[in-house]
Amino acid sequence: MEQLVFYSLGLGAVIGALGVVTAKNPILSVLSLLWTFFCLACVYLLIGFEFLAVAQILVYAGAIMVLFLFVIMLLNLGTSEAADFDTARAMGRRLPLVLLVGCTLAALSILAAQQVGGTSDEARADLRSVGSLTDLAQVMFGTYLLAFEAASILLLAGTVAVVMLAKRERRKNAA
Amino acid sequence: MTVLLATLLKVLVIFGCLISAAGISTLAERKISAWIQLRRGPNRVGPFGLLQPLADGIKFMFKEEFVPPGKSRFLFILAPALAAVPAMMSVAVIPFTGRIAEIDGTPILGSVADLDMGAIFIMAVSGLGVYGIILGGWASNSKYPLLGGLRAAAQMISYELSMILIILAIVAMSGTLNLREIADAQNDHTLLGFLPAWNVFLQPLAFVLFVICTFAETNRHPFDFAECESELVGGFHTEYSSMKFALFFIGEYCAMIVMACLTTTLFLGGASVPFWAEAPWFIGLGSFVFKAAAFMFLFIWVRWSLPRFRYDQLMALGWKVFLPLAITNIFITGLVLAL
Repeated sequence: MEQLVFYSLGLGAVIGALGVVTAKNPILSVLSLLWTFFCLACVYLLIGFEFLAVAQILVYAGAIMVLFLFVIMLLNLGTSEAADFDTARAMGRRLPLVLLVGCTLAALSILAAQQVGGTSDEARADLRSVGSLTDLAQVMFGTYLLAFEAASILLLAGTVAVVMLAKRERRKNAA
Repeated sequence: MTVLLATLLKVLVIFGCLISAAGISTLAERKISAWIQLRRGPNRVGPFGLLQPLADGIKFMFKEEFVPPGKSRFLFILAPALAAVPAMMSVAVIPFTGRIAEIDGTPILGSVADLDMGAIFIMAVSGLGVYGIILGGWASNSKYPLLGGLRAAAQMISYELSMILIILAIVAMSGTLNLREIADAQNDHTLLGFLPAWNVFLQPLAFVLFVICTFAETNRHPFDFAECESELVGGFHTEYSSMKFALFFIGEYCAMIVMACLTTTLFLGGASVPFWAEAPWFIGLGSFVFKAAAFMFLFIWVRWSLPRFRYDQLMALGWKVFLPLAITNIFITGLVLAL
């Protein structure tokens, strides 16, 4: 049962991902990506990562993808601009190459999963133990507090840098 | 098996009640607005016009459907569903009352799903309602709906941020993200010997901010820039007719009901009754419904009392006033908790 759910979710995610690159309409691409995120969130739920699933929906689906839609609509990227490049047809013409790359990636991920023992029951139990919010908080704010704070300071610095860069650009334009 | 059946029953009852409550709210909106404006309001269908929502529903089903040409027909039809479903989904974690019964050692609680991260879940799911509005506005292939959709998207993202930060302060006080436990944490002691320790008394600033945020989050007056009749005709649902239009409305009223329930849970002690700690579950349910209904009345009251803001005023209020205040509130809460 669990395997069946997992494989249908995986299939859904792959179909959504294909939709992202092949859809002619950028809005449909965004919606396909949204669908992929949902499938992934359900996969997280399946392995007991409740917080990760909810955070994925809250952050990616609820905020970032809305921003994508927002930008696409403001720039009014219609189908006309994208029409001269048909991704689906281009991929169809290079079908052997696409298949080769796809199969290689799939094989590599399966190998990697076996290497870290991602499919064994033991590894699954191990994963489940950090799935709950309490455990995650203890790891984040206890064991790895320093690394966590350093990462957030790095992100903050990045944000400030972006604002400064954008500001300098505007001043140049004004002059 | 019995537990499964009980859960299924709860799902059906809560879903049915939510949809009915949305219908009743439309009637209440029209009745209360009539009182405020010294009119009579709907009074032709049934006694006191009570069957008006039913008549409206039937009318919606028989109206002609119209799909504007040009943009995606699929998205145009999908949008109302996307607007209504998240609001209906998020009601699943609201604890309407305490423990109802116990079957084979498994307690039957007053919510469909007693999630450990209910507070985050409700924000995550209700935040998805914006897709219905923005896609409906875009797929209508018309400039007023597009403007309405874009405004709604910007507004809902801005205010969701403040809302989550306000909830975080409450979460820090209760020490849990589970909505049932947040409600229970407000009922285990009293303030000054008589006041129930509801968060509305402990966090008055957060309460006021949160209530105002719910108005912005559900696109209600005085922040209803997604519709904004005087500027945008009808906003994102200008081109919609028949049941698709009705779905947008049901979604809006469901979102209002969910927000009223969430405010009740976070700030008014949920299903608790003051001075009666061992109240049976149906009294608690009555208390919860009473408190939530009071918030619904507030939604309607404000709509017919205040003029609409200007759009830039709304965004300035969200980013320059609410966000700093919400962050300050978290710091103060943290400081008090640490001392």
